[in-house]
Amino acid sequence: MNYDRPELLDRLAAEYVFGTMSARVRSRFQAIQRVLPAARRAVEDWEQRLTPLAHSVPPEEPSAATWKAIERKIGGSASPSSASTWLAWLKPVLGVAFGVVATLGLVRLYPTAIVPLDDIVQERGTLPASYVGLLTDEANKPVVLASSTRHGRIMSIKMLRKVDVPMGKVLQLWALPPDGDPFPLGVVPAEGKSTFRMADTSEKLLSKVSRLAVSIEDAPAGAGARPAAYVLTGNCVKLW
Amino acid sequence: MPEQMAATTNPSTDLQQLLARVALGDRTAFRRLYDATAPSLFGVALRIVRQRDRAEEVLQDAFVNAWNRAAGYQAALSQPMTWLTAIVRNRALDELRSGARHSAQSLDEGEGAAAIEDTQPGPLGLLEQAADALAIRDCLDSIDGSQRQCLALVYYQGFSHSEVAAHIGSPIGSVKVWLRRGLDKLKRCLESLA
Repeated sequence: MNYDRPELLDRLAAEYVFGTMSARVRSRFQAIQRVLPAARRAVEDWEQRLTPLAHSVPPEEPSAATWKAIERKIGGSASPSSASTWLAWLKPVLGVAFGVVATLGLVRLYPTAIVPLDDIVQERGTLPASYVGLLTDEANKPVVLASSTRHGRIMSIKMLRKVDVPMGKVLQLWALPPDGDPFPLGVVPAEGKSTFRMADTSEKLLSKVSRLAVSIEDAPAGAGARPAAYVLTGNCVKLW
Repeated sequence: MPEQMAATTNPSTDLQQLLARVALGDRTAFRRLYDATAPSLFGVALRIVRQRDRAEEVLQDAFVNAWNRAAGYQAALSQPMTWLTAIVRNRALDELRSGARHSAQSLDEGEGAAAIEDTQPGPLGLLEQAADALAIRDCLDSIDGSQRQCLALVYYQGFSHSEVAAHIGSPIGSVKVWLRRGLDKLKRCLESLA
């Protein structure tokens, strides 16, 4: 079956969300959703559409044992402890730290993907000051490595694994400033390497950007465009 | 009905804040999220699996799932209640379709009947109430009666094609066609909202 056809995915997603699929087909389509972002997005679209219908169902009180069982399954009681508060604080810090370490680790693994290394750089034995982004999928697998020298306008892209893009759609890379709307950087390929020219230098565009994301769009996004759902996200760090 | 809609669709900001706390591992926020949403979600699960103990298992799994996935919740993409209801419906449908379900008759006899009060609206009534609340009633009424009935039985009760066919006494082939056409029309009604 050719799952690249958007109308087929739309039909399957409708039947999945509405509930007409058999157990076997449901489980197969769940597996497809895990590997095909377009399938997951079609399902999310249908969930958005249909879920308001569920709000007319009268509420029913579950037994007190239900919460107890949930508490047991997630481990521990629901009272806030100093440990959980401490962990809550530490979690994002660790997340960012891990992202930076993972990004730098990949920089070592795939140095040529980062920036074209000229002879001088090789002689110096160090990478030039650059912005580097590593985007991962929902399973935390690295998918896109994006890099640009600090004062350059060229963004180099290496796809670390192939992304399934529906026919007629593009993978759009976005910068996510912490205090403003996302803005488009350029289009990345489904696999392999590519480069694109940015609207300004990395330093101007990315100095305050700590997160990047990729969405699937009908066409390359222009200035002021709003992103569709993100299928890949990751940290953007300064390599100097 | 209006109170109920208000309880489930309006406090999105509060629920979003709770979900953001849950993503950080805040168990108190998780309890508050449960208290605020569990009755609505349990109602949805109970309609589909029709037995309280099974619906409670569905609810447990769904909340554990929500706890584990809260960090991935994107407020820009969906309302908290939509996100949670989708998790519950998916889990309930998996449970129902897994084959553990006894029979379509459990709606009319035994535990299933006891699980849902007689005074509550049937599936078609729920669909009409939802359409009223969303102001798409005219659009819903323009859908053929058989198609509407099929849609309501599948969406609210989780009926399979063959169960719908048995329930309304029509051939399964007709039911499939009605569902497909009905779903296309319903999609247009719901899209007119946006």
